[in-house]
Amino acid sequence: MRNIKRKLLSLVFLMLVSPLLRAQDFKLPVDVEKLSSTAKETVEVNMDGPMLRWASKFLSAEDADEQKAAKLVANLKSIYVRSFEFDKEDSYSSADVEALRSQFHTPVWSRVVGVRSERDGENVDVYFKLENEKMAGIVIIAAERKELTFVNIVGPIEVDQLADLGGEFGIPRLKTKPSSSNPVAKVEKGDHK
Amino acid sequence: MKSLRVLLISLCLSAVAFAGDHEFRGIVRSIETTYGVHHMHIPLLGVALFFARPAGAHGLRLALFEGFKTPTDSDNFCRVIESSLGPGWYPFVRVRSKGDASRETTLIYANPRSGSMRMMIVNLESSEAQVIEVSLRDRDIQKWLKEPGEEAKHQSSHHHEMD
Repeated sequence: MRNIKRKLLSLVFLMLVSPLLRAQDFKLPVDVEKLSSTAKETVEVNMDGPMLRWASKFLSAEDADEQKAAKLVANLKSIYVRSFEFDKEDSYSSADVEALRSQFHTPVWSRVVGVRSERDGENVDVYFKLENEKMAGIVIIAAERKELTFVNIVGPIEVDQLADLGGEFGIPRLKTKPSSSNPVAKVEKGDHK
Repeated sequence: MKSLRVLLISLCLSAVAFAGDHEFRGIVRSIETTYGVHHMHIPLLGVALFFARPAGAHGLRLALFEGFKTPTDSDNFCRVIESSLGPGWYPFVRVRSKGDASRETTLIYANPRSGSMRMMIVNLESSEAQVIEVSLRDRDIQKWLKEPGEEAKHQSSHHHEMD
């Protein structure tokens, strides 16, 4: 009887936890989490499904551009931002960032942008998650000398739709070329420089 | 018979008000019991908040704590707050900042509902803390988002008139 009870409890626990695991299929490495104790400022922003649906209400149904943006936002599962700002340069190690990046060195993730600037110390990586040749998420890791920012957008996104977000929620308007039939196909998988 | 109906309606309304209030009270109580402090009693605070609230905001509640010894573990502080929030509340923003001699933690939780958004804002400074609950109507948020400059001007002139 006790065994059945334990199994039932485990099942209920898994049912409760599994949506969370699906929404955020990675975790910040412990060493990165610890950075909040040394950072001058740590900012964490979470927008899950209900919050995103609520935010999408403020995009006007009368404006065609806003309507497209609302459609994109309504399909998203979550937006998660974590930012650390430090007093001194090199307050975190490159190993800390590498531990973060390494979580995206898997077949489902493709690194589409990698910027390394020795002069400014700014390193930016953008990863796309592809599921059945469709984009299912975006991760941005921006590492500067005194700042480390991590952005995760979970949910189905089309590259063309990304441009529709320009001008909304404070995102600058983007200039895009005429759309191709399959924009995601241009993404090179496993391009880790 | 009429008085009985009025009494029943009053009871129902107070029950609804209390249901919306229990998370705020829960947070205040959790801070008091966990950190051994008491929130300040400000006479006529409810009346003042009713008249001085920003346009579009309603259900404004405020609790102030002074002589508060800042918890060293801000994660534990977050757990204390979150344990008092029921389902439907989402951690929206968490900011932790540290100066040479001061620390500050701001936690914003949101509870989206049809037609409005409830927000619980908890701010912890080096020797004081504030807990604020506020509801914002969707149509007022929409106005702010569409014309932030105009609304700010309108709000500022409204407050000058009140002064």
